[in-house]
Amino acid sequence: MARRGSARGPAAFSIDQVVELAVRHNLAELEVEAAGTRIRIVREHAPAASGSRVDAAPASVAAVQQPAAESVESTAHLVTVEAPMVGTFYRAPKPDAPPFVAEGDVVKEGQVICIVEAMKLMNEIESKVAGRIAKVVVENGQPVEFGQPLFLVDPLR
Amino acid sequence: MFHKILIANRGEIALRVIRACREMGIRTVIAHSTADADSLPARLADESVCIGPPEARLSYLNIPSIISAAAITDSEAIHPGYGLLAENPAFAEICRACGITFIGPSPEAIRLMGDKAQAREMAKSAGAPVVPGSEGPLAGVDEAQALADSMGYPVIVKAAAGGGGRGMRIVRERAALARAYTTCQAEAGAAFGSSELYLEKFVEEARHVEVQVLGDKNGMRLHLGERDCSVQRRHQKLLEEGPAPALLPETRAGLHKAALAVANAVNYVSAGTVEFLVDRDGQFSFIEMNTRIQVEHPVTEMITGIDIVREQIRIASGEALGYKQSAVTFTGHAIECRVNAEDPEHFVPSPGRVTAWIAPGGPGVRVDSHMMTGYVVPPYYDSLIAKIIVHGRDRNEAIARMQRALHETVVEGIKTTIPYHLKLLADPAFVAGGSTLARLEQNL
Repeated sequence: MARRGSARGPAAFSIDQVVELAVRHNLAELEVEAAGTRIRIVREHAPAASGSRVDAAPASVAAVQQPAAESVESTAHLVTVEAPMVGTFYRAPKPDAPPFVAEGDVVKEGQVICIVEAMKLMNEIESKVAGRIAKVVVENGQPVEFGQPLFLVDPLR
Repeated sequence: MFHKILIANRGEIALRVIRACREMGIRTVIAHSTADADSLPARLADESVCIGPPEARLSYLNIPSIISAAAITDSEAIHPGYGLLAENPAFAEICRACGITFIGPSPEAIRLMGDKAQAREMAKSAGAPVVPGSEGPLAGVDEAQALADSMGYPVIVKAAAGGGGRGMRIVRERAALARAYTTCQAEAGAAFGSSELYLEKFVEEARHVEVQVLGDKNGMRLHLGERDCSVQRRHQKLLEEGPAPALLPETRAGLHKAALAVANAVNYVSAGTVEFLVDRDGQFSFIEMNTRIQVEHPVTEMITGIDIVREQIRIASGEALGYKQSAVTFTGHAIECRVNAEDPEHFVPSPGRVTAWIAPGGPGVRVDSHMMTGYVVPPYYDSLIAKIIVHGRDRNEAIARMQRALHETVVEGIKTTIPYHLKLLADPAFVAGGSTLARLEQNL
């Protein structure tokens, strides 16, 4: 979800959000200052910056579709599970139920790992690979947009 | 008034809505596809939500995703722009059911006017003249043939659910009717999901003149004058101007009255456009009503000083128009040229990267465009990349100003319709005013 700090006044960014932005827009370097905090991300594996942000338009689309190939360093082998639709992210089938998966859990290909609610429909999202959940990227109950990374999975080889 | 509006569209019209909202102090959310993630509307909106992949079917036409995007961003209203979901009654109904205000007319009005055959009957009963034609959809090619024989040729076969110039064929002789009927039916089925057709007498050398109307929720309705949209290529408008040149005062008054009669008959709320054909003798007849903001709305904004998008938003929020017909005044003349990413000779799309873009400026020039240097015109959507609008004290000043504006415009990397417009603006028949649809289509 892109929200513009300049328009809505200073807002805090999490490091994860900044990393995600840098990956999404295929940036080699990104610095964000908001609410008295400055976060600077330098990606060693990022392709050389090519001109303006506009020039990077097609590349950034590709990055949304396959960010797994170049996530943060040392996570290049991780597979990203993205939101297949815009909606609200839920880690559990019901508010009081335990989450489908936690970091460190081993999942099978096709196993339900979360729910994205869109228009009151609970859409079960499956892991596209067998592996270990390396990171849950989004917090429970947060809105997610199409293509937004939800999980990083360390695939079993 | 709303505090946040979601825009379910892209390109220049998304930008236009953002601009109106910004001036009104309303926050904006742009729902965009991955192809438009770096677009100017996505940058200028307060928030952006990616709703799907580039194909419009999976993003801009994906109703659940758009409603979901409105829900997660707490948007109170959706502006549909034009095209895409703007005239989809099911979408307007779903918005209503979800407690989101659809910025436009009621689903009932959209549905009624979306069925061209029904709209025709409605206009007729409201007292607006209509072109002779079939009562309701045609049962088959035999009915079409019998009707055409009785009215005389040429006739025009049209898709009942049509619009945007698609799904229509002019038939000049009996022998060509059956084939035109079949082609139209296939085109209508593919483009609009309904293969119902109707048939009208084709008016030769007609001009296309449309009247802008506004209606609020209290039943107050008024018109903002007319626009002449006779410059078309394959039924696609390319240049629009207002007021319509060479129109008899009684014809003009009659058009305004008929447009309001049609709007009143459907209790029309929001901005809408009633389209007419005007023949050589100044006789006019109703064609259809467009239940949305039109591409060419800036022409009317320039001569009336009324911000039509702002009015749409005010009306949707329940505000009264707050002024009467007598308060609407018309000053000077305005012309709009549509700059499309198209080859000006063959009118085939020319997507690609814009390597340079210098917009025109100076007195009386307005540019509505989402273009930027480096912008890649995506192949997925329509080819409109800029609208150049000029205002002058009279038509001659407006023409000279448009020529000047187009000469200083630079678009490199893709082909555009600018050379076509320059040719047209220098054409003696266009300069004389009152050109007809057929002449402009044939000669340029």
